[in-house]
Amino acid sequence: MNRFGGRAGNYGSGIGSSGNVSGNSRSQVAELFVKRILTHLDDTDPSKLNEFLSIFNPNGCKVVINATPFAQPTAFLEQWETGVTQTQHALTAVDYHVIPGSNTAVFNVNCKVRFDEGGRDRLGQDASIQQNPQQPRNALNRTRPLWGSYFGVSLQLVTEERVLNNDTNGVVLAFNYNMVYKPDDSLMNIQ
Amino acid sequence: MNGVNNVNNISMLAQQQQLQSRVKIGVRNWQNATVQDLMNFLSRTTRISVVDAMVEGPLVVGHVASRADAESLLKWNGIRFAGNNLKFEILSDSGNDGAGANSTITLLKNFLYKRYNAQTKMLDLGNLHADPDLVQKGLFSSISTQSKMFPALMKLASKEPQLVVESINLSDNNLKDISGITTLAQTFPYLKNLCLANNQISRFRTIEVWKNKFKELRELLMINNPISNDKLYRSEMMRLFPKLVILDNVMIRDEQKLTSIYSIPMKIQPFFFENNEIGPSSTDFVTNFLNFWDTDRMQLLGLYTPQSQFSISVDSSIPPSSVTESDQNPSFGYYLSHSRNISKVSSEKSIEQRLSLGPEAMSEVFRAIPKTKHHLQDMPDEYSMETVTYPQINGFIVTLHGFFEETGKPDADTNNKSSAGRSRRFNHGHNSTNNRLFKKSFDRTWVIVPTGTGVVVASEMLTVRPFAANAWVQQPGPVPQQPQPQPPLAPQIDPMNPSLNASPPPPQPQIGMGGLPVPMGVPPQQPGMPPMSAPAPAPVPMAPTLQLPLEVQTRLNPIQLELLNKLHIETKLNAEYTFMLAEQSGWNYDVAIKGFQNSVNNIPREAFIP
Repeated sequence: MNRFGGRAGNYGSGIGSSGNVSGNSRSQVAELFVKRILTHLDDTDPSKLNEFLSIFNPNGCKVVINATPFAQPTAFLEQWETGVTQTQHALTAVDYHVIPGSNTAVFNVNCKVRFDEGGRDRLGQDASIQQNPQQPRNALNRTRPLWGSYFGVSLQLVTEERVLNNDTNGVVLAFNYNMVYKPDDSLMNIQ
Repeated sequence: MNGVNNVNNISMLAQQQQLQSRVKIGVRNWQNATVQDLMNFLSRTTRISVVDAMVEGPLVVGHVASRADAESLLKWNGIRFAGNNLKFEILSDSGNDGAGANSTITLLKNFLYKRYNAQTKMLDLGNLHADPDLVQKGLFSSISTQSKMFPALMKLASKEPQLVVESINLSDNNLKDISGITTLAQTFPYLKNLCLANNQISRFRTIEVWKNKFKELRELLMINNPISNDKLYRSEMMRLFPKLVILDNVMIRDEQKLTSIYSIPMKIQPFFFENNEIGPSSTDFVTNFLNFWDTDRMQLLGLYTPQSQFSISVDSSIPPSSVTESDQNPSFGYYLSHSRNISKVSSEKSIEQRLSLGPEAMSEVFRAIPKTKHHLQDMPDEYSMETVTYPQINGFIVTLHGFFEETGKPDADTNNKSSAGRSRRFNHGHNSTNNRLFKKSFDRTWVIVPTGTGVVVASEMLTVRPFAANAWVQQPGPVPQQPQPQPPLAPQIDPMNPSLNASPPPPQPQIGMGGLPVPMGVPPQQPGMPPMSAPAPAPVPMAPTLQLPLEVQTRLNPIQLELLNKLHIETKLNAEYTFMLAEQSGWNYDVAIKGFQNSVNNIPREAFIP
């Protein structure tokens, strides 16, 4: 009885708010937006960086990675681009709430990430010292990444609500990315 | 042992073998006769011979030749002897206990320590044939004994925590391959330097078993092995050992570049608080919240307004098996019907239904998921937290990562109810093992709005995922960690020190349970949190008179340091006593001050700063 009442109430509220066609697409838009962020993180093409940067709000976006804060999204993206090898993210869970009256939405995301452990950085350069420097380097003919085991990641986002209308320009207000489990057989050092 | 100087190794080995497979047994209730009588009786009746018998307390203790003998002896339990029923028990398994094996182990242990240099963290196992002790015992005279020696030494070394080994020398051992020493990789996975010089290793294939094993190997020395003349030698060694920097005294990799490739610049930390004010309050909030969540969830409903939202999302992806303690067979039976993971749930109707709006809907979900126990207080290292301000709602957003135990089935098992209604359609292959209670890892995010009297939770999202050891604990490196008492993250009361517990915290949390909910989006009465200006968590400025030993200071978090500072300034106690006060009052400022005021007259003069 109680359950019935609760369910009916929920259902009603769904209809009452924007539970129609636009509501239908909103959660799909939300998921696509998160996927887009993960794709950006995995992208090795430096020319796409500006596009990634345009997602973050220009007037004060908080970025926290592994409990390390960044003053600016640019500082984070620079470090990600130069200091982290190629990555591959796979989305495992997304949920989001629109906070009424604030024009903002909160995302709770879980994904897993693995790193290229083949010993090359994002630009394809390795650490080996050439025996005879005359020999041409093979940095340009990229070898395939050697993916290590997956790390677990928990990501929270605060965005402006308009992201659910497919507007991604400057929508990210907070970006909290933390690793939650790590495989012992990885060569990557996160400590 | 009678064969100390026995030249005939084979017979000695045979004897050793025999001693190693012996099993120690005990006999109870034999007291009405002599030990010799008992032995005669046993061999006569059971046809199992028990040797080296002697009295140990109420037991006669002896040895039988094998495990099988010991087990068949157990079948004679209850047999009558001298007016009593005898009882047999197996006291220990083979090997370690036999007198012969024991002395070999002692010998090898002593040998290990003789060859270990604690200063250089180096275990020198070079040229074992020339070691007088080993030669005298005949332990290195034949190929067969030698092939057993290395694994035995490795096994022993792995059981000696005092042996912190970064370098191993195995030169001059006539090794043709590494088959005898492969276990080195299990015993010392974090080995940094390895010397195999002056052996006869000739083929890459034998070394292949070490691929992906020595992840931290920095230097390898293999000169005077046939293999080092191979054209592919250098590239093969670089392939097998990804972090090798020096091969045969030659730099083969740029160490700085290598380190940067294999590390992530954002080193993982367990805590981040955007500013000093929200650290303690969010810690308090989370501690109190989870206490109620574990004991009486319905009490929490006062924190939500009719517009507050709650949802659960199940992340059922299994972590790699190489993640420590990861649950490879998790069960989410109780959660799945509530999961709002929109990357998995395709029905838009379900996505809508699974968002709980307001306390009434929440109470249903709260009752439909398992009872839990969080360990925030007793295992603070297992939790990690980030808090940032949320200016758009004049509040903040708290995220906690950690684990909980499932301690009981849900009060309302919606699973069963719903399946009863539609049993034919949905019940294929449904079995209760899907509802096994275990521990789970979780990520939980609260959007919190402070009100005049307390707080309101505007939004709460919980991810439940398979249990896995967390990423923020220190890696088990080659250096054994000193067990250090960890100060608790959240208030704890020391039952041993009642004088400081004069004022236990009120049973109601200070977060304003049931405080009047305010409408969302209305500016709250409290001043807004200052925006994030300084990105790095600034070190807490300490009073110059508060001189903490460095090793104490480094294991305290900024909140604790700040609390110490405050207490120190307030009480004028010196560093040592301030720390004691803080620790005994569970790092709770109010409790500490009360405790101080109550016992100020009994505190010795030297406890205060001069």
